[in-house]
Amino acid sequence: MGKRKLTMRRKESIYGYIFILPFIVGFFAFTAGPLLFSLAGSFTDYNITSQMNFTGVENYQSLITEDGLFRTSLWNTIYYVAFSVPLTTIGAIFISSLLNQQVPGIRYFRTLYYLPAVLSGVGVYLLWMQLLEPGTGMVNLVLGWVGIDGPNWLYDPDWTKPSLILMKLWSVGGSMLLYLASMQGVSKNLYEAAEIDGASRLRQFFHITIPMITPVIFFDVVTSTIGGFQIFQEAYIMSGNGEGGPANSLLFYNLYMWNQAFENFNMGYAMAMSWILFVIVFVLTIINLKLAPRWVHYEGEEK
Amino acid sequence: MKNIRISMLLLTILTLTLSGCAGFQTSNNEEANVNEDGKTVVDFWSFWGSELRRPIIDKIVADFNESQDEIEVRHTYSPWGDIWTKELAAIAAGNPPDVVINDINATAIRGKENQAMNLSEFIDEDFSEKFYPELWEATLYEGDSYGIPFNTDTRVLFYNKDAFEEVGLDPEDPPETWAELEEYATKLDVKENGEYDRLGFYPLWGVGYDVWLLNANGQNYFGEDNNTDTVNINTERNVEVLNWLKSWRERIGEDVVNSYQAQIDSQQGNPFFSGDLAMIVQQPTFYQQISEYAEDLNFGVVQLPEYEPGSGHTSWGGGFVAEIPEGSSDPEAAWEFIEYLTGKEAQTYWAVENFDNIANIEAAEAASESDELTEEGQMVYQIAVESMEDTLLTPAPVEAPGFYNYINPQVDEFFLGQKTAEEALAQAEEDVKNLIEENQ
Amino acid sequence: MAKTNEETKFLDEEDKIENRSVPNTKLRYLEHRGNRNNMWRIFNFVLLAAGSLLILSPLWWMFATSLKTMAEVMSYPPSFFPESWEWTNYIRAWNAAPFTTYTINTITITTFVVIGSVMANSFIAYGFAKIPFRGKSIWFAIVLSTMMIPGFVTLIPQYILFSNLGWVNTYYPLIVPHFFGSAFYIFLLRQFYMTIPTELIEAAKMEGASHFYIWWKIGLPLTKPALATVVIFSFNGAWNDFLGPLLYLNDENLYTLQLGLAVFKGQLSTQWNYLMAGSLLVLLPVILLFFFFQKYFIQGINLSSGGK
Repeated sequence: MGKRKLTMRRKESIYGYIFILPFIVGFFAFTAGPLLFSLAGSFTDYNITSQMNFTGVENYQSLITEDGLFRTSLWNTIYYVAFSVPLTTIGAIFISSLLNQQVPGIRYFRTLYYLPAVLSGVGVYLLWMQLLEPGTGMVNLVLGWVGIDGPNWLYDPDWTKPSLILMKLWSVGGSMLLYLASMQGVSKNLYEAAEIDGASRLRQFFHITIPMITPVIFFDVVTSTIGGFQIFQEAYIMSGNGEGGPANSLLFYNLYMWNQAFENFNMGYAMAMSWILFVIVFVLTIINLKLAPRWVHYEGEEK
Repeated sequence: MKNIRISMLLLTILTLTLSGCAGFQTSNNEEANVNEDGKTVVDFWSFWGSELRRPIIDKIVADFNESQDEIEVRHTYSPWGDIWTKELAAIAAGNPPDVVINDINATAIRGKENQAMNLSEFIDEDFSEKFYPELWEATLYEGDSYGIPFNTDTRVLFYNKDAFEEVGLDPEDPPETWAELEEYATKLDVKENGEYDRLGFYPLWGVGYDVWLLNANGQNYFGEDNNTDTVNINTERNVEVLNWLKSWRERIGEDVVNSYQAQIDSQQGNPFFSGDLAMIVQQPTFYQQISEYAEDLNFGVVQLPEYEPGSGHTSWGGGFVAEIPEGSSDPEAAWEFIEYLTGKEAQTYWAVENFDNIANIEAAEAASESDELTEEGQMVYQIAVESMEDTLLTPAPVEAPGFYNYINPQVDEFFLGQKTAEEALAQAEEDVKNLIEENQ
Repeated sequence: MAKTNEETKFLDEEDKIENRSVPNTKLRYLEHRGNRNNMWRIFNFVLLAAGSLLILSPLWWMFATSLKTMAEVMSYPPSFFPESWEWTNYIRAWNAAPFTTYTINTITITTFVVIGSVMANSFIAYGFAKIPFRGKSIWFAIVLSTMMIPGFVTLIPQYILFSNLGWVNTYYPLIVPHFFGSAFYIFLLRQFYMTIPTELIEAAKMEGASHFYIWWKIGLPLTKPALATVVIFSFNGAWNDFLGPLLYLNDENLYTLQLGLAVFKGQLSTQWNYLMAGSLLVLLPVILLFFFFQKYFIQGINLSSGGK
């Protein structure tokens, strides 16, 4: 019996590797090389075209001990992640629970709410620059109707990051899609049983829907944290000349890295930056993964 | 399940059909150097893809191809700004195009980093005299040129003549000095119930604070030939200029400034067209927009006012060079094309068709008298050519790449009221000096 | 265990179930709760409609701009409704660059990317979710890690790699990597596979089914909504990709729609009306695809409610 179990396990292992083989092949063929190159490059003065001399930990050292812009950019990025991740997660869950009902015209509503997520590129950011215009822009116009004197948005360093978060909330339809897909998997039996027991809608939402979609919430939190740390294009375009202004309030980590790599050609320095970011995000992800068993509920799991 | 399988099958068939397309044919790197007729092929990349510019550059390329039978230039459009990321990747991979249009301000750095080729072997003694000296100097690294100036720009003052007349100012006598500028602007303001119906002027719409610093100083932040032994950031005059700029902001009001600013930044809706703004500093090509979007506007153009009488109408500009990326397969042929591109004929054609400032002096003068321009066009172009004489560039010294990233945030904080001009400039100067030290 | 049987049963009867009539007892129950439900629906509808306005107003701006003349775009203050509705902007925008060619090219690339993404990622993710094997957590960490390094620093070495393969100026660099999975989708699909009851898979294995068979017959059908999501996301990603085509395509005949749209944004000025018109045209197929693929979500609802 024991022997048979062992071969079973081995057989499973072989299956496992067959299934993940495409990833392993792709990883070694396309990803591993460039990754190692960037790791090696982070210890040099690599400038893309003419030099790559070993400089030891100099890049890391000057980043951590001397570079004020590095610290500013890291702080800006953490601020952005800390607010945008929870807000967009809650927003997406809220909207998708509304969209998961049988309401007239639901197909149109879903398409509509997904629309902003499809729109991408420079056009959208410039559109938002107009909407956020402090004088005649639509956002402040609407705020004015309810008696709020709108802020200067992209011109006030205290409001630039909230501006971007607001814009992110508008296009929350992308993750809405994930939750919607996940809510389809929740059995109607559960709701009907709860209803017969007299549970209110709100109770049903918190005691059935939420626990059942935790795997996707977990996914959303992890990936949008990783993605949030890499925010770039919004700031590149909306800070006017791409420098992260006003007063460096939109100088995000990747924007500063981009400037170092492709404006100043300090690619080695940028590579060091990217590995520092990697460590930060990796640690956060591990924490997330470790915390997951406490709140993520997989229906398929053996208990 | 059936549906999935059928659609998979359909997709596979589609896949096989599509894979016959051109995008799936690999080629080795060496093939494209010679075409079917045995001519040398020169790959030329530019970001001129719009309806307006594309036909002009294509015509220049076609003219060159017809002018001789050794070389065939192939022009490829690549998006503005991103074209240089693409170029860099191609250089790194050792398979770059032969001629690329690039930003003049970074030419020296690109020379230093071996991205662009040293062109001195092709250049004879008086070649450089064809171009505005300020432009030529920006292409030099350790005395050698790494790119040939193609087009350029400058900043001039556009003003609304009707508005001038309305408030009793002579429309043929635009402001000559900063004091006059301020005086006229106040006169041109029309305020009703606390709201502006018309604004006279605000110095920071259309240009940055640095243009006014250049204008007041008549020189760049750095020393002779852009050497970094001298750094002129924290000077008394600069403090004064910043405070002057801020006084406008305080007089007009934060909200009004931000509101107009946002309009101008978003590149839509310019209040000058509608007469809501009486004066604005812009590039000469702004004329083209006026003639398209506000053809009835009665406007005049003049060089930037002087800081004080006699201090000079110093203006600020930039531009583009044609360069040969390091690793080009046939630099000689590439050079021949660059010579044509920056020669009088092509330059004049470009200038007239595009209404653009060009680097070749002789061509610029010819263009300003060209019959193909309207009378108004000639007038604007002449002012532009005059202004070119007083135009400075602000290329980053190789020891201080991206130095403005250290000045701008400080100046932002000054305008936001978080720092005094002295504090902001002192910090900026310290940061830039640190940057220079790091790069020594 | 009862649940497992139920689910396998409705799998087999998938097609029949949708047409099956609802039992009488259930019908009475539904009537009973009808009133309360209607209240909720109205409330829900009102909320959704209000939200739509928020979503739509920026889009209206885009649409209005696409119909203005440039002179009107540049007028101050901006107008909310176009003065004259310039529908010809759409035709002129389309003709400003060879957009028909670009469309064909983009469809080609996108088709491959979607096929590759769906097949590879669902396959790989099944391995991570449902097969226990040694080294799984390390490999999963590697999967996630590939998301964490900013693309800027691997951009140049990756370009050199593809250049050495002779793939520059072909679609291969844009397509082939997608056939080897990408972290985001692997992780996503893994989350969905994790919710499939393990007993279901164990039962299938008892009957001698291999993992391939289980993946194909149970895994794929049960994760349809998630696969639909991957289709939509990967379509959207490939359709809107800018950096990839920018770097790897040198021949303008191979360019994609996003590169074409960049024509309207120049160094000095932007042709806003054309840019917006072009963007909306390019957007259209993505919207249609979404509208069509929604049925997989709705089907999901029918399946679970019919399964009782």
